Amino acid sequence: MRRPPLVVVLIAVFVMALGETAGAVMSQMRPQTERYTLARVAGNPGVHGLTGSAEYDDEVRARAVFAVEAGLSFFHTHAEGLAPVMLVAATLVASLVGSRRIRAALYAAMTLGVLFPLGYLAYAAAVLELGRDDGAAFAERWVLTPLGTLAIVGILGLLVALGTRRAPVT
Amino acid sequence: MTEAAHPTWRLPPTPALLVALLLIACAEIGGASMVRFKLELARWARGTMLARPEIHGLVGVRDVDEQIMDEALTRFDGGLRLFHMHAEGMGTIVILTTMVAATWAPTPGWRRTLVALLTVGGAGYPLGYLVWAGLIPLRGVEDGKRLAEWLVWIPFGGTTIVAMWLLVGTLALRLRRPG
Repeated sequence: MRRPPLVVVLIAVFVMALGETAGAVMSQMRPQTERYTLARVAGNPGVHGLTGSAEYDDEVRARAVFAVEAGLSFFHTHAEGLAPVMLVAATLVASLVGSRRIRAALYAAMTLGVLFPLGYLAYAAAVLELGRDDGAAFAERWVLTPLGTLAIVGILGLLVALGTRRAPVT
Repeated sequence: MTEAAHPTWRLPPTPALLVALLLIACAEIGGASMVRFKLELARWARGTMLARPEIHGLVGVRDVDEQIMDEALTRFDGGLRLFHMHAEGMGTIVILTTMVAATWAPTPGWRRTLVALLTVGGAGYPLGYLVWAGLIPLRGVEDGKRLAEWLVWIPFGGTTIVAMWLLVGTLALRLRRPG
């Protein structure tokens, strides 16, 4: 099998390495993550809708901690899952797509698309700084949707290129 | 995006491939066994916990003990599931990352080191979940977790993380100095 350009491989391996590190951070640094989350919520009382009522505020804090942990968890699973998939897909592009231009376009879409899991890190950070709903909307609009779309475009493009392929690359 | 002069993948060494495939096979067998032997596994875990009441904080009151055992059984089941998922994932990652290392490591020595670290770390880490699940009925949830952490997750997970960042560094250097 032909290999894709080094930069595509580097980005995929980089995302896998980040995903593995995030898994370790999630389990080994859970108390620190929770403390940081609570400190950021306390630092942004307005965006989190803290009211001063202990019972209600505790619920808000618990929801923020849950959202941040979910963001880290989704980052871990998506980084470990999507990056290998994109590496294999890019190898198929290198091996089976004849046109140099189409290969370059698919590599570009896949290289950016493999960064999609970073959207969950952005989600975790944005929830802390902008509040749960606004943070989720921000991450979805500016990171998850564009990068996820590029990943889908890369895979669909490979599908179309393979479906319309005339002769195998030798 | 420029394409390299020798644009084919090099296969990882056969032992690395065998270990990764064995891990994936264990994951599949583990997944199937969880379903096929669900009752037997739960029965063994319950029996083992009942034989060690002091470890699990069982007090002899049915309502209290059932709740404690249900919680431990949920963790036991979770440990087996996490083994299944991580072994499937890490097996695939070992194959891909050792292939990347075999292709782009600059020297044979560095290639062997990277492949060894990626294979040992990647294959060993998921076994921690199996160890944890097995230790829950014997040592309790928290003690089992502590043991699995120190015996498996930290050494093997740490090895994998170090190896992955070494691989990232190797690729970044190759990008700066092609050839």
